[in-house]
Amino acid sequence: MKLKTLSAIFLPVALGVALSAQAHDPKEHMKNAEQPKCEKMKNMDHSKMDMNDPVMQAMMKKCMKHKQDGDAHHKHRDGEGHDETVNEESKKEHSEHQH
Amino acid sequence: MPSFNSFVKSGFILIFLAILSGGLFIYSGFYSMGADVPHNKVTYWLLETLRERSIARAAADIQIPSDLNTSERLLSGGADYNDMCVGCHLKPGKDSSDFTIGLYPTPPNLALSADAHEHAHGNSSKDDEKIKRQFWIIKHGIKASGMPAWGPTHSDERIWSMVAFLQRLPDLDPEQYQILSARGEGEHGHH
Repeated sequence: MKLKTLSAIFLPVALGVALSAQAHDPKEHMKNAEQPKCEKMKNMDHSKMDMNDPVMQAMMKKCMKHKQDGDAHHKHRDGEGHDETVNEESKKEHSEHQH
Repeated sequence: MPSFNSFVKSGFILIFLAILSGGLFIYSGFYSMGADVPHNKVTYWLLETLRERSIARAAADIQIPSDLNTSERLLSGGADYNDMCVGCHLKPGKDSSDFTIGLYPTPPNLALSADAHEHAHGNSSKDDEKIKRQFWIIKHGIKASGMPAWGPTHSDERIWSMVAFLQRLPDLDPEQYQILSARGEGEHGHH
């Protein structure tokens, strides 16, 4: 009796959690994936950026990847690439701060 | 003068009465289980102590990976944090959500440093203990708190990346957070 009552209470909860967890495969999230707003890097104080900091390295990687993908996508669509000034600037900043 | 036997008898009777009254109280249904009514101080202390002691004991032998502070881990952990945790544990620039207002106990705001968010960490003041604790909680969850166990659906590596991201989260501003946590098309493929 007790076991039945407990099962009746916890089974729907457990099922709900299990089903929602299935949606956490990264591929599932790609459907509504947010794009990184790399243009915001332009407004950041570059003098305070430490290029050895993993946070900064991660941001650079993310925006480089995003730019490369964006360029490839544009080339594919238009036959030629559209430069993203911001990311070029980020690149420039990167090389300036690497020493 | 009461004999030793009558002293022991009285002790047993008191213990029996305490158990009986405790049982009657539980079955009476008078204790509010609504999340909008906080526990009294004694219950809160009991549950918090039970939780913190249990986690500290269970997490003691966890081995921390040596590559926790890398950009790869931040990117992987950031995207997962944004998908799975941000609703309850917030992000830079956001200080409340429906979940943080409605859940009890209130989930800690992980975008703030441990000192800033009002959430007990037991005795785990050292960084290593904090890291082990975070890994254990993400993997196993916490009973009756709203914190699910992500271990059954996420690999240890993915959980460690989330832990890595948590170490840097309080330092991030909203723009940095957005870039690190956006899953974007670049990271996992094209649309």
